[in-house]
Amino acid sequence: MLIIVLALAIFAGLYMAWNIGANDVANSMSTAVGAKAITLRQALIIAAILNFLGAVLVGKHVTDTIKGKIVDISSMSSHDAMLGFLAALLAASIFVTLSTWKELPVSTTHAIIGGVAGFGLAQGGIEAVKWATLGKVAASWVISPLAGAGLAFVMFVIIKRFIFDAKEPFAAAKKLSPLFISLTLFIIFLSVFMKTRVGTMLGYGAKEYILLSLILSIFLGMIGYFILIRREGVKKRVYEMVEGLFRRLQIMTSCYVAFSHGANDVANAVGPVAVIIAFAWKEVDTLYLLAFGGIGLAIGITTWGYKVIRTVGGRITALTNTRGFSVDFGAATVVLVASKLGLPISTSHTVVGAVIGVGLARGLDAVDLGVIKNIIYSWLLTLPFTAIVSILIYMGLRIIF
Amino acid sequence: MPRVAVGKVYRKKSPFDGLLQHMNKVKECVELLKEGFFKYADGNFEEFAEVAKKVSDLEHEADLIKGNIRAHLPRSILMPVDKRNFLWLLREQDAILDHAENLAQLLDLRHTKIPEEIKEDFKKHMEKVVETIGEMEKAVGNLRDLTETGFGNKEREETKEYIHRVHKREWEADQIRYEITKKIYEIEDKLSPMDEYHLLKIVDWIDDMADHAENVADWLRAMIAK
Repeated sequence: MLIIVLALAIFAGLYMAWNIGANDVANSMSTAVGAKAITLRQALIIAAILNFLGAVLVGKHVTDTIKGKIVDISSMSSHDAMLGFLAALLAASIFVTLSTWKELPVSTTHAIIGGVAGFGLAQGGIEAVKWATLGKVAASWVISPLAGAGLAFVMFVIIKRFIFDAKEPFAAAKKLSPLFISLTLFIIFLSVFMKTRVGTMLGYGAKEYILLSLILSIFLGMIGYFILIRREGVKKRVYEMVEGLFRRLQIMTSCYVAFSHGANDVANAVGPVAVIIAFAWKEVDTLYLLAFGGIGLAIGITTWGYKVIRTVGGRITALTNTRGFSVDFGAATVVLVASKLGLPISTSHTVVGAVIGVGLARGLDAVDLGVIKNIIYSWLLTLPFTAIVSILIYMGLRIIF
Repeated sequence: MPRVAVGKVYRKKSPFDGLLQHMNKVKECVELLKEGFFKYADGNFEEFAEVAKKVSDLEHEADLIKGNIRAHLPRSILMPVDKRNFLWLLREQDAILDHAENLAQLLDLRHTKIPEEIKEDFKKHMEKVVETIGEMEKAVGNLRDLTETGFGNKEREETKEYIHRVHKREWEADQIRYEITKKIYEIEDKLSPMDEYHLLKIVDWIDDMADHAENVADWLRAMIAK
């Protein structure tokens, strides 16, 4: 009996991770592929590796949120809790698959939270659900797009002011490129070192890590600068040359998004599995679970990711490289910081917000706000839908087991 | 089946592309009309009839482009410029073509002979008006650079310079028009009343094209305002 539940949980976790990988890879790689910065094959390999790394290196905090902060499981029997998390996982997976089929842009993070809250309601009633966490989720509907929009806006205004308005835009772009590279790497290094397994292993304090990240990122920024300069050929129009430079920078920010996505979203698949295994067998080292989830993401990316990238990449020709860079940078930074803080935010929501941010900075020819309305509807729908499905599945599982 | 949330947000087709396409039709049309008008002034009415037909065709093609742009600008669209300004610019740009077509048809309907004394002035006027539209095209064409730089200050200044030139040319065209009108009244004894009326009308309609080019420049100025 126990072994069946355990097997089901692992299967559902893998399925969920596969779903997340297949669907969300578009958020990170489609801009780069659409702008022909990298090939589809390269994008898939890079995304798979970085999602895995992000999951393993930085993926811990959100897992904790899923595990203990949505529903109070202390008063439940381990049997009920196990079935509950399995129901949540299945409900979320079904929802993501359905929304994928319907081309609805939902958040996998919110799907799993809805699922967990659903079984909590069914088992423990209203008191069992930690409404404060759900409040945080609701807040993230507002905060994650706003933060993404804000950062992308600022980044694009900086590009405008210091590159496009410069006397010699291409020279200015070259001069600023190490700064962009260093800034991106700084945040990545910081997130890898601070409060993670890697950080504890090395055993230094916060100050040392900030300094170390700073030195590493400046050093690598310089190296990146020389690689960029050596490579850029001469074209007729100066703005095309600037875009050409940013095409290379955009590969980096795409990787950044892939990394932070892995860090943030792996928990949606792994979190519930971790709880179930802990109840059914014993507390397992988180690293193994994160690696397991990371592999699931990577499989999803490499098996189905190409479909998503191809569709999205083809639709976004209007998104030039400077814009893509701004969108990626804004989105990834928000997701990574939120992941560090343990906030359950959605990568998709943040990316959509970032696109609007660039639009508000007069960076895009036309952004269709009508689409945004539909996206908001689907955000509002996610929690109640997954909660209800989760309740139904939970009832069914209780009858069987 | 892929999720395409992010992809749906940006539109593949830019309204600015449509506007520039429309502008190219204007360019093609007024150049054609200019050549045709020179032939008309020299008394070559048969060849002008063909030009008039082509002008009309181009006007129709441009109308289709205009309709297409308007049809694909939903209420909820977010553009880097005010949508109303954008539509007004398009409308004024289209008015140039309307006037070109009207002028071509008017000339084709009644072959009023342009007197030798003012023939060169008429040609000069037409030349200047087409020059004005040419400057307008440069100004509008700069929209590509503007959108590429997210309406950066440098490109905005450049566009303002083009707009300034449109105003200058339009003013020069007005001066020539004034001269021609004066001359027409000076030789009015030699002209039949119908000829005189028609000549005055021709010079007005040629000048109208420059006026609308100036309006385009004004809407462009409003568009690039901060």
